[in-house]
Amino acid sequence: MEFIFYFGDVFTPINFGLLLIGTIGGLILGATPGLSPTMAVALLIPFTFQLEATQGLILLGAAYTSTVAGGAVSAILLKIPGAPANIATTLDGHTMAQNGQGTKALQLSFLSSAIGGIFGVMLLIFLTPVLAKWALAFGPSHLFWLAILGVTVIGTLDSKSVVKGLLSGCIGLWLATIGFDDIMGAQRFIFHDALGGGINIIAALIGLFAIPQVISMFAKGRQDEGAEVLEVQKHSILDAFRELLRFPRAMGIGMATGSIIGLIPGVGGQIAGLVAYDQTKKFSPDTEKFGKGHPEGVIAAEAANNAMVGPSLVPLLTLSIPGSPTAAVLLGGLLIHGIFPGSDLFDNHPDVAWTFINSMLIGQVLMCLFGLYVAGLAARVAQVPQSLMAAVVLGLAVFGSYSVQSSMGDVYVMAALGIMMYFLERFGFSAAPLVLGLILGPIAESNFIQGSMIANATDGMVPYFLTGGLNIFLIVVVVVSVAYSGWMELRSRRFVSKEELMV
Amino acid sequence: MSDISLPRLQHIVASALVALVGGWVTYLSYTQQPSEAFLFPRLISTVFLVLALWTFFKACLGWTKVGVGISGQAFLRMLPGLAIAVVYVFWAAKGLGFYTATAITFFILFSLYDPAPHNALRSWIKRIIGTAAFTAVMYALFAVLLKVYTPREIFF
Amino acid sequence: MKKLLAGAALAVMTLTGGAVLAEESYPERPLMLMVSYGAGGATDFQARIVTMTSGNEDALGMPIAILNKPGAGGRVGWNWLADQADADGYTLGAYNVPHFIAQSIKGGVSYGVDSFEPIANWGADPAVLVVGADSEFNTLQDVVDFATANPGKLTTSGAGLFVGHHIAALQMEKAGDFKMAYIPTKGGGAAAMKAVIAGEVLAGINNLSDAFRAREAGNVKILAVADLERNEFLPDVPTMKEAGLDVDNASVNFRGIMVPKGTPQPIIDKLAATVPTMFENGRVQGKMKAGGSPMHIMTREEVLAMWQKRQETLSELLAGL
Repeated sequence: MEFIFYFGDVFTPINFGLLLIGTIGGLILGATPGLSPTMAVALLIPFTFQLEATQGLILLGAAYTSTVAGGAVSAILLKIPGAPANIATTLDGHTMAQNGQGTKALQLSFLSSAIGGIFGVMLLIFLTPVLAKWALAFGPSHLFWLAILGVTVIGTLDSKSVVKGLLSGCIGLWLATIGFDDIMGAQRFIFHDALGGGINIIAALIGLFAIPQVISMFAKGRQDEGAEVLEVQKHSILDAFRELLRFPRAMGIGMATGSIIGLIPGVGGQIAGLVAYDQTKKFSPDTEKFGKGHPEGVIAAEAANNAMVGPSLVPLLTLSIPGSPTAAVLLGGLLIHGIFPGSDLFDNHPDVAWTFINSMLIGQVLMCLFGLYVAGLAARVAQVPQSLMAAVVLGLAVFGSYSVQSSMGDVYVMAALGIMMYFLERFGFSAAPLVLGLILGPIAESNFIQGSMIANATDGMVPYFLTGGLNIFLIVVVVVSVAYSGWMELRSRRFVSKEELMV
Repeated sequence: MSDISLPRLQHIVASALVALVGGWVTYLSYTQQPSEAFLFPRLISTVFLVLALWTFFKACLGWTKVGVGISGQAFLRMLPGLAIAVVYVFWAAKGLGFYTATAITFFILFSLYDPAPHNALRSWIKRIIGTAAFTAVMYALFAVLLKVYTPREIFF
Repeated sequence: MKKLLAGAALAVMTLTGGAVLAEESYPERPLMLMVSYGAGGATDFQARIVTMTSGNEDALGMPIAILNKPGAGGRVGWNWLADQADADGYTLGAYNVPHFIAQSIKGGVSYGVDSFEPIANWGADPAVLVVGADSEFNTLQDVVDFATANPGKLTTSGAGLFVGHHIAALQMEKAGDFKMAYIPTKGGGAAAMKAVIAGEVLAGINNLSDAFRAREAGNVKILAVADLERNEFLPDVPTMKEAGLDVDNASVNFRGIMVPKGTPQPIIDKLAATVPTMFENGRVQGKMKAGGSPMHIMTREEVLAMWQKRQETLSELLAGL
């Protein structure tokens, strides 16, 4: 309960001002395509040179929480996920915006972000010592199985056919191997200079989601003037609350998945949203509605994204090991001020530690309030005419993918993947499984290689990968997940043939 | 074979292309050195090829939901936009500088697909203002706020 | 229009060999420092600190922006710097020795010591041998005894192949005539440290700065430093040589700034004169010390000599692999 004593520090004029700047700035940065939370926090580090330790961390903490939520804005309005975390949000969120329910989608996303986020930070406050042990329990073999579990999700994610979902996933897994291999340093599939650094995940995200959409707008041609202007439905915040209460399951699954996955070092929040989305879809009675603008999809994805923020800092704050790239940047922000995370932080600088954690709590609330305030206005983006929208999204995609690493190569990769994806989408392939493959490939590969090196030096491959409680548990989940996908495929077959009979 | 619809034919071609890529990737991963570094690509590409061939045969036999395909009309409508976008991304952005190229592309695309009449002065003014506003916002966001140094070439 | 004319004039001047004019006003715009590791890594963190005063009038007068190009132990970034970066003095790169030299000797990359021109060195981070806090090993000798008795069974994590940590492992094996199982991790020193703390491996080789922090947090024991002298941060930890293994400082991770070959000589001279004084700035020194990062400032001439020496040592060490 120690944290309550430090709440006052958040509300001094300077600190609160910084919190506001961090939150609103973070939302804007997060909504900018190409700026992942990691980059946004890294951009802010130089400003913290001038500030005191506590103030610097308030700025960084607020920015971290709100960039994660800000990514949902561009995911919903433009179908450009700001970061891998927001991929799942595009699936239902953008469809809702296209149906004129953008306000509702944004409201739900901010509300579930805030609730998930506060839950995550609460875990960080109360359960840190327990969670730290958990975070360390995941070794290479477990991370390998976890990645395989992610791969099994691919087949059922946003795809009409399991085979095509898996094929999309395979294309993603293959694309991930392009470039220098991380452990041996061998060159793989580098056909062009632009591929030397491999395929940058943020650039790929922009291309795979934004470009097909631009081309679809072109394909609609010059639409007549006076064609229906989309009506953006008004939606009161109170209704959004009620809507949220209607789906406690989505919220619960989102928060649980997000905080567990966020905790595991090396996997980070990249896949939390997608896994939560997939799980919610499997447990929901309305499975058919997912992908067509179902509120549950947005709630699960955004609750998971923000629930991941708190636990993802556990390994950093307790063990001084940054579990994600963003945590690594935050570590830099601490070190500049001579503060070492670990017992030193909580024993000798409790004011810094707790003010930082409190600022993330208050930051969630501020972010939510600000987000709800602008949701109605922002949803009008859906009314922008197609001709204008296509040009805007194209421009944003080019600038966004360039700014990731100041590299023209990333822009070429973005556009090439995007054009390819447009044609693949016409034939039932979809971008989400492909991206999941792109994210999981390196995790599976490096952990497999590292694990097999350890296994060969110790007790051998079979005992290392196949024994131990956690390994067996994960393998069982993988088997169940595969069986479920197979069953879904069979069920959908029957569904089709029934329809055909009726015709 | 006259009963094969256009989307189905397209589907066969598309899945054949995917299968070709799969075959090529598989070939590369089994022939490139050092072999330890290609262990994973081999695994992936084999599964990739099997799934791609399966999809291809399903497409040939017509066992599969086809997807929407692309109608000839839609293709013709998107072709100019796609061509301009390709020139913009792969040449103009670097060759003319980001802001110049973005302004020009934005203006052309906006004018091309804007339903407003092409002979009214008002709509041209609207297009010019739109272009200027977008370029200014991009400049403010990326050059001023985020300090990204994009290729500039002749102008700003 | 004025800018256009100025640009044209500049182009003409450069063509006619008038690089002197460009040098006088250099730098006219912000510079970019490519770091071949991800944001938040030790190199990135230190690069951000040592360049923070670059905008001051007594330094370059223009800020330096950090550009991360991570991947494959640094190969991606250095390849980019050697092949694709403009040699106009506005694109700088951070080097890590012995990493890039070892990688170039091993092959498969398009750079070597001759592809770059060093400017100045800012830091030297020795590799250290760490074990978990509850490990049964208490001295370097315990580790050596175990490795000798169980060849190839001593799992030792490090940040990758052909980086400083790997070099230190190779030197230890050579000096003690034993075999260990070196496990390269993806994700750099942090992931390698996590493997040690979580007990996934028996020992680890890591950066002194990171190990120092982990020891402060009570997670690891540091058994030896792979350097010629004890380090000021860890006065109680013996060097490898003192503890009985003949390992020199070839694995010490030197970090500094370089430019691609082809950068105009006047610009190199100007940078070589200014950058070391920028590193000596009191605020930079204070922040580096606070972060537990050992500084070691060297001028261009000293770095050139150091690169040559490393090239020889590493060629010899890696010849047998």
